[in-house]
Amino acid sequence: MNDAALDLLDEYLAKARSGERAALAVLVHAHQRSVYSLALRMLGTRDLAEDLTQDVFMQLNGKLKAIESNKHLGFWLRQVTANRAIDQLRRRSRVQMTSLDEEHQLFSAEDDSDPLLQRHLRGLLSDLSPPARAVLLLRYQEDLDPLDIARTLDMPINTVKSHLKRSLETMREKISGMQRTRCEDHST
Amino acid sequence: MRKYTVSLLIALLVPALACAAPNPKLAMPEFAGLAQKATESVTITLDTALLAMAGKFLDGNDPQDAATKEVIKGLRGIYVRSYTFDKDSAYQQADIDAVRSQLSAPGWTRLVETRSRKTRANVDIYIMIDKDQAVGLALIASEPRQFTIVNIIGAIDLDKLHKLEGQFGVPKLDIDLSKTPAQGPAK
Amino acid sequence: MSQDIESGMRAALRPVAPSDEFSQKLLAQVVADPPARSKSFRLVSQGARPLGWWLTASLAASLILAVGIQQHLQEQRLRQSGLEARREVLQALQVTSQKLNLAYEAVKSQSTSLAGEKPGV
Repeated sequence: MNDAALDLLDEYLAKARSGERAALAVLVHAHQRSVYSLALRMLGTRDLAEDLTQDVFMQLNGKLKAIESNKHLGFWLRQVTANRAIDQLRRRSRVQMTSLDEEHQLFSAEDDSDPLLQRHLRGLLSDLSPPARAVLLLRYQEDLDPLDIARTLDMPINTVKSHLKRSLETMREKISGMQRTRCEDHST
Repeated sequence: MRKYTVSLLIALLVPALACAAPNPKLAMPEFAGLAQKATESVTITLDTALLAMAGKFLDGNDPQDAATKEVIKGLRGIYVRSYTFDKDSAYQQADIDAVRSQLSAPGWTRLVETRSRKTRANVDIYIMIDKDQAVGLALIASEPRQFTIVNIIGAIDLDKLHKLEGQFGVPKLDIDLSKTPAQGPAK
Repeated sequence: MSQDIESGMRAALRPVAPSDEFSQKLLAQVVADPPARSKSFRLVSQGARPLGWWLTASLAASLILAVGIQQHLQEQRLRQSGLEARREVLQALQVTSQKLNLAYEAVKSQSTSLAGEKPGV
């Protein structure tokens, strides 16, 4: 998002804080993709993601006065979404990832996306602990640096870095395994 | 009958001649062929509406923006065509002459003509004065690998343009309008 | 290889949009609900309010949203145009000043060489 658009969202935040519902709608519209995607990839199913998204934005309604800027709003939304998702996952005995039919909704369907890498990523996400999953998503979906991730999740920065390192290693192993299989397939 | 015909013609022409105020806007060629050859090209066309819009987005608290706002206050247009090439003589003089020839029209006065052997840069600056006020500026700068044409229209305040020194590196030209040669075709 | 994996993950994890139906209902609820009420309930099950209320609120919210978004997009477009016009003005004056500088340098060096030629200087 360019600077001009960000400045405009700050203006809308100010209007929303003074009670303008249309301005609040604009803010929800601007942030809903990010919140929904985080919820979906944390919780694994569309229904649960929609519920969480709804809860987060309803909670925002009551917290608007405390939000100082659009940047702060983004931080707050990510923080609440990630932490509530972690809490939900901890209460569940086993993570239910989306069924194969809904798989395409979990990841971006743009031209440069790699379906095989996505399959490994899905496997990785389901294997990770909830906090580690949140770290991965905040890094690669939200493009936060480790320090911001640590602040968002109230987690020591070394823990964040450790989660990222292990996740990347796991992905590398999965992809290497895939490449070995491909080579074997070609050679038979 | 002939006397009346001539008188009628003069009666029709004189007001037309009297009303033909000098036009500071230059007709810029397309330069389409050159644009494709150039490594860099700058094409800016800002009319009154766009200048007014830009003015709203210039920050009065920023020194550069504030100075710029002052300069463009009375302007009606800014037109820039600038092309840079990766080798010498990639453009023909004829490309520029189509513009230069317009500066021979009544109203334009050449203010500055510089030819530098050192930089091989030629810069001509023309001004159009109407009722003791500058209403148009034309600048043609040609170097071996670049040429630039600038046409500014409107109430140019040379003093304010002068004061942009330090903001864009505009130099003091020490041009005194009162000493400007009498209006006539440029040489 | 790490960079490839990371960029692959970024591409795969680009945010995805919720369904239009969910999006509409979410916006309707957020707009219709007064602030400070943070009670949440599932949209799908619709809670205790009658359907008619929801439809009216949804329609009202959609209209407000449509106007709001339209205004926002228009303002954003105008703002972008204005910023672009500003950028062009600054660029035009910068180009002009660079060329004025060329003339100045030439005049200055001519004056210097003329001064050097004067006898007794």
